Amino acid sequence: MSILEIKDLYVSYGAIRALHGISFHVEEGEIVTLIGANGAGKSTTLRTISGLLRPDRGEILYDGEEITRLGGDAIVRRRLIQVPEGRRIFAPLTVLENLEMGAFTRDDKREVQASMEWVFELFPRLKERLEQAGGTLSGGEQQMLAVARALMAKPRVLLMDEPSMGLAPILVEEIFEVIEEINEQGVTILLVEQNAQMALSVAHRGYVLETGSIQLEGLSAELARNPQVREAYLGGG
Amino acid sequence: MGKSARELARAARVDIALDRRDGVVLNRLAQGLFALLGLGVMYVLAQAFAESPAIFVQQMLNGLQLGFIYALIALGYTMIYGIVKLINFAHGDVFMVGAFTSFYVISGLDLHRWPAWLWAGLPEGVVILIGTITVILLSMVVSAFLAMAMERFAYRPLRNKPRIAALITAIGVSFFLEYFGALPFVYSNNYITYTRPFEVTVYTAGSISPWAIGGAWGLFLLSLAGYLLLKWRSRQGDLRAQSWIRHPLLQLGLLLGGFFSVVLTLAGVQIETGGEIWDLSASNVTLVIMGSSIILQVILQYVVNRTKLGKAMRAAAYDKDAARLMGINVDRVIAATFALGGGLAGAGGVLYATAFKQVHHLMGIIPGLKAFVAAVVGGIGSIPGALVGSLIMGQTEVLAAGFISTPMRDAIAFSLLIVVLLVWPQGIFGEPPGEKV
Amino acid sequence: MRKRFLILAVLLTLVILPACGGSGNEEALKIAILAPLSGDVATFGESTRDGALLAIKERNAAGGVLGRQIETTVEDSQCSAEAAVSAGNKVIDQDGVSYIIGEVCSSASIPLSEIVEAKGVFQISPTSTNPSVTINEDGSTKSAVFRACFIDPFQGTVAAKFAQEQLGAKTAAVLLDQGNDYVRGLAEFFKEAFEAGGGEVVVWETYTGEDQDFSAILTKVKAANPDLLYLPDYYSTVNLIGAQAKEKGIEAIMMGGDGWDSPDLDTSAVEGGYFTNHYSADDPRPEVQNFVATYKEEYGATPDALATLAYDAANILMDGMEEAGNDDPMAVAKAIEGMTFDVVSGSIAYDEHHNPVKSAAILQVENGKISFIDSIAP
Repeated sequence: MSILEIKDLYVSYGAIRALHGISFHVEEGEIVTLIGANGAGKSTTLRTISGLLRPDRGEILYDGEEITRLGGDAIVRRRLIQVPEGRRIFAPLTVLENLEMGAFTRDDKREVQASMEWVFELFPRLKERLEQAGGTLSGGEQQMLAVARALMAKPRVLLMDEPSMGLAPILVEEIFEVIEEINEQGVTILLVEQNAQMALSVAHRGYVLETGSIQLEGLSAELARNPQVREAYLGGG
Repeated sequence: MGKSARELARAARVDIALDRRDGVVLNRLAQGLFALLGLGVMYVLAQAFAESPAIFVQQMLNGLQLGFIYALIALGYTMIYGIVKLINFAHGDVFMVGAFTSFYVISGLDLHRWPAWLWAGLPEGVVILIGTITVILLSMVVSAFLAMAMERFAYRPLRNKPRIAALITAIGVSFFLEYFGALPFVYSNNYITYTRPFEVTVYTAGSISPWAIGGAWGLFLLSLAGYLLLKWRSRQGDLRAQSWIRHPLLQLGLLLGGFFSVVLTLAGVQIETGGEIWDLSASNVTLVIMGSSIILQVILQYVVNRTKLGKAMRAAAYDKDAARLMGINVDRVIAATFALGGGLAGAGGVLYATAFKQVHHLMGIIPGLKAFVAAVVGGIGSIPGALVGSLIMGQTEVLAAGFISTPMRDAIAFSLLIVVLLVWPQGIFGEPPGEKV
Repeated sequence: MRKRFLILAVLLTLVILPACGGSGNEEALKIAILAPLSGDVATFGESTRDGALLAIKERNAAGGVLGRQIETTVEDSQCSAEAAVSAGNKVIDQDGVSYIIGEVCSSASIPLSEIVEAKGVFQISPTSTNPSVTINEDGSTKSAVFRACFIDPFQGTVAAKFAQEQLGAKTAAVLLDQGNDYVRGLAEFFKEAFEAGGGEVVVWETYTGEDQDFSAILTKVKAANPDLLYLPDYYSTVNLIGAQAKEKGIEAIMMGGDGWDSPDLDTSAVEGGYFTNHYSADDPRPEVQNFVATYKEEYGATPDALATLAYDAANILMDGMEEAGNDDPMAVAKAIEGMTFDVVSGSIAYDEHHNPVKSAAILQVENGKISFIDSIAP
């Protein structure tokens, strides 16, 4: 059984349909990437899984349980966590408070502390800035904080929306290394990216989304070799 | 989607910057005019001070009492605006309901004396203390539930509709509460004399002045010591100290303490040398009002900055979707914000009724409006701003009435809004536009 | 469309019919009572209505006026100009009323008296004290407008006289609502009389009707330390000012006018204070004691001055009708001008401006109770 299975999902913004019946699945321990151009429906998919949008039709199964109609907080409690596009950290809150918000649904103080230690191991720089307001961090630090905040929820599945957006190349490398590291610790990852090259280099499998439908799917290596994908997303090469 | 919105916001900010450049001349002119006006006012006040420092200090004390009541109402406006961007025009009526709740439990049930029912031999002071606290808490609970009900049934259904819909609804809710209250079987539309939970004692002249001077210096020196300590710690690289040093309560302590210690000492010297008598008086009502308001503000600071709920409120105020992704039930947090704001307004209502000894179904309108102006002056959405704005409002009103013109007091108080918004368009503690996406 | 027309026709008939029926009926005489039954001074209106209705009820039981029974219409005129004018137009044009008892407040009685004058009907206000109620702008007296109470100058003058002669006051502070004709009238005449008597008004401060916090002006009063604090406002504001003055430790004796006369007056706020009034239930005269007894029987409460003046107003009107011998409002007015009435609030004769010449009662708030001190003749 897949840990996350999307079946025939239709989503609209008012009268405009953004997703036309997409289906895909993520297996436990995988990194799966959803690649596509701007406006293909990648973020819509993630927002729907997290319960911020209601689908017109279709099902979302998580660990065999239907979660399509659950509220956002119930989904977070099931440790299906999203790192949203554009980081969306809480600028007026301190770094520490941002991390505490990540652990909002958890009551086990000792384990939260353990998560905190883990996060500091991954991002030592955050530890130096605990009392600083989130908004005063640099772009790269903010992205790290966004990931760290999501990890504070002790995710089983992490949905990541464009983690490389707006970052300098060296930071992009760094963030993808972290993604692999998190995955090695047993966290399943669904990665949405425009930077298809980087995404396919870390993912096990991938799906190509175009104007609200899945056009292609396969192992990352296969997709990276596919001429259509190379032309559209990997700069011709 | 998100990206384009941000780009728009950035573009808008550039536009605002350009507009500002165009408006510089006009602004300078307006600022100059208001600076002149300000100088004139300063002159009048300085003259009043020189003439009779004791009266001046007394007027400032009157203003403080008023300011601390406004603060309790203004906090609700600002917190609710912060989280749902709604100016809850019915907030003043929640304040009215708080006052009436206390009126009924005091004159109907004698609730302010309940400990005496259980323990006959209890000293009077203890009975009244516990009883009064009970009455305030009960009124806060009733007001909190009212505010929550208002949010649930009137505002939540309109959450995703254009903002004007909720605003109009707020005005409707306000009228509903006012005129529902006016029905004969509710409170009727009479002015009703309020029974205070405790007797009034007036403290006069010499007994309070050394205390007032000492208190002001104490506050100032304590804040100064705290400031210097934190400054030193942050020089040492203590990051916690660096953030604490900007804490609004500390700044407030410095500001208020500094201001009052200088004014009071000057007044004291003037009075001693001039042979005038200290004619300062305050009643226990004033002290109870200021004390309760300060205690509630401190509790609120704690709730907002240190508890999980408070942090969730600040997170949701900044970014609701991101808060949802953290598993925060935003609807529940909004309801809690209304409850908190409503509770504070209810406490304000009890204190206001205690101060002025009268309840009436329209009593919330004017204090509500003034507290709203205070919240805007302080920077709507900012909690320390609401307190500072309210204290400024109280002083402006009383000093205007005392030394400029009594019938003009409200006109002067409300023009303060215009002046402050010209100088600080976002209010004193407000955030610049565009910082929130 | 046709349905809407039908409804309109029915409504019109309903509106017009009673008016037609009224003018053709020789049996009953119609009197309208206009009083504020909602709003800030609703208790004033209720007392007024009850007092007037009691007088009419007694007269009807005794056979009516000119052998005819009296029919009453009660309208809520809200103490406001707009409401009083529309209620006046309604009772005159629609109900065919020629005699109006009301309004309570001067600000409502003045505009009402203008339409009464224009339409040639009769008005007697029980309690409106402003001179303009009975006088036209050119100084002439309105033909059929009377009042049952004394006018502001008298209350202010009496208060000043009493304060100086009986209380020995030399300095006074006056606080007034600039926007209220009644309050300003009392305050100005008090000041004039107090200064004429050799006293000094050391504080003269105005406020607005919405103010609830009086700490700033009371601080000034305290600094001036006057013998007397004159508060000629209605009870709702006096309650606020009095309580705050006590907390400021102001020891000046408080004094006011008939606006204090309400069951809702906060006696603890004005403890020890005095006010001028039209009458006191403690006055031992038999007219007073008989009226108090009947009123108590009818309504279960002691009548206040408003009830008394409304009772007197109704009796003055009905006595005038008897004297005139017909129901022509102008003839009734002429008759009243020449008469002397022994009513509850005293012996009344009218001067050339239709103002009664009568005595005033001085009352004191003492130990939470209001007691009769003295009756001062003009």
